[in-house]
Amino acid sequence: MIADSVRAIWCRELKCDDIAADDDFFTLGGQSVIMFKIQDAFLTELGVEVPMDQMFLNPTVASISAYIESLEAVAP
Amino acid sequence: MILQGKRVALPPAPVVHQQFEANAAATPDAVAVVRAGRQVTYAELDARANRFAHFLTARGVGRAAQVGVCLDYSADMLVAILGTLKAGAAYVPFDPAYPAARLQLLLGQVPSLALIVASPGTRGMVDSAGVDVVDLEQLTDHLARLPATAPDVHVTGDDVCYAVFTSGSTGTPKLTAVRHKGWFNLMNWLKLEYGLHSGSHNLVVSAFGFDLSQRALMTPLFCGATQYFMASRNFDAMMAYRILTQHEIRVVHCASSTLYLLVDWETARGGDALTRLDYVLFGGEPLKTQRLAAWARREGNACTLLHQYGVAECTDVATSYDLAGYWRGGHDITPVGRPAYNTDIHLLDEELRGVGPGQYGEICVSGASVGAGYLGGSGPENARFTTIEVDGAPVRVYRTGDRGRIDQAGDLVVAGRMDAQVKVRGMRIDPTDIERALGRLAGVREAAVVVASTAAGETELTAFIVPTRDELTEDDVRIRLLQTLPRSMVPARFVNVLRLPLSPHGKVDRAALADSLEKQYALSGTAQQPTDPCR
Repeated sequence: MIADSVRAIWCRELKCDDIAADDDFFTLGGQSVIMFKIQDAFLTELGVEVPMDQMFLNPTVASISAYIESLEAVAP
Repeated sequence: MILQGKRVALPPAPVVHQQFEANAAATPDAVAVVRAGRQVTYAELDARANRFAHFLTARGVGRAAQVGVCLDYSADMLVAILGTLKAGAAYVPFDPAYPAARLQLLLGQVPSLALIVASPGTRGMVDSAGVDVVDLEQLTDHLARLPATAPDVHVTGDDVCYAVFTSGSTGTPKLTAVRHKGWFNLMNWLKLEYGLHSGSHNLVVSAFGFDLSQRALMTPLFCGATQYFMASRNFDAMMAYRILTQHEIRVVHCASSTLYLLVDWETARGGDALTRLDYVLFGGEPLKTQRLAAWARREGNACTLLHQYGVAECTDVATSYDLAGYWRGGHDITPVGRPAYNTDIHLLDEELRGVGPGQYGEICVSGASVGAGYLGGSGPENARFTTIEVDGAPVRVYRTGDRGRIDQAGDLVVAGRMDAQVKVRGMRIDPTDIERALGRLAGVREAAVVVASTAAGETELTAFIVPTRDELTEDDVRIRLLQTLPRSMVPARFVNVLRLPLSPHGKVDRAALADSLEKQYALSGTAQQPTDPCR
């Protein structure tokens, strides 16, 4: 499950062990530097390129996971 | 102590857009701007800006007026900016990444706002400001009927070209204006001193509201080079790095913290696009050289790092330092170097007298770069622009509020602020601005915001709140604050306290709060008993 991997990355970078699928990144104390680290982790660990604008538009585990799944659906 | 910049004569009319026009006439087919693969030539950009200038002139918008620009980075943004300058007016950048409520507050501070240029993607944020909003896309047919030649507007070097918001010590953002001659002088200095030319293509990586972004926007057009934009509203290291890799970019202007992110990205993936740049011009916050050291010493690194210092009130950059000198050793604080052309740095004591060699004083700036002051500002803020006597002659200076000294090599060194303002990731922030926003929230009786460094060395804001009720949670406060403040101003941590400690003068004792930080518990997602930092 993408959502599980995404949640694990969020928990690690936000230093928070209890994140719900619809918790808001900024409400969890997220900042641009943390977002950068998450973007980096998506690329390194999940092999997906997620533009920063998409991270801002999808500030929850559920929505960014759905976005990543949509990327994989069109990938070769 | 005075540190004098080289005197370099400016043309009789140091008007920024006329330099762009000269480049457009000399190389009309050169590419002025590239975004998402789409190119616009100098001739086309000039013609579109001329048409928009005619549109403004026909509506009576001219000298002493301001035009708001609320657009994402795009050719249209340059059309709006250049058209505004050609009409003789000044532009004010509004970052569409800001919350709408913050944009409304800022818009209300602009004294002679004639209209706002927006796009379908941004107009919703500025529509309710009570000011005309125009959309260049919707105006396409109308603009096409206007002349493609420049309107006959007389603009001088003393006219205001842009105004940006800076944090004011009264807690309200201040709109600080700069003049054409200051901006011209800045870019002329970069061009001549560092040899920028028509091949010095640039990538913009900073947020639109920054003073440094205005320089980043215009310098390539001033030099006849190409401007590259990311198709992204938010800074995106991944996208920025890809553009650096794929195109012949030579120059990047950015805040220090942005440079760290780019360096980290390159280091993690082993590219060399950054090391192939001619220049990175950066600054705006205390430099953490350890974040750059390994990268800077890489074999074959051809990039010159220019560590710069300046204030928005004095056209953005006052001094510059080639970091190569720092790596040779012997410095405790990273210098910010020597003044720009036609710019002097004075180190003054409280009585505005020069301090002795090597002594600390308030950094004051004089010369071509000193700006036009705060627009609409009647109060104490403008007192920072004052006149001192140097060798018997009056000299207009701006008191920056920064502390500095001249080191043994003759370079300026900056060591903090004289007042409460702080820098968080390159943004000059006044904690009282955030305290006022907190104070307007229901459930908050009183608040104090302090800055402290985390274990990782990041500068972070913490808000101490005296709640009126028990159930005030961090999530609740943060969500409501995010509606009114830019993310950079929303504290990373919130701490409930029973009362705020006071200094002997009866002011909130920020030092005591900072000291108590370690003893406090951050609020969790649930209700928490307030603690008392006064104990």
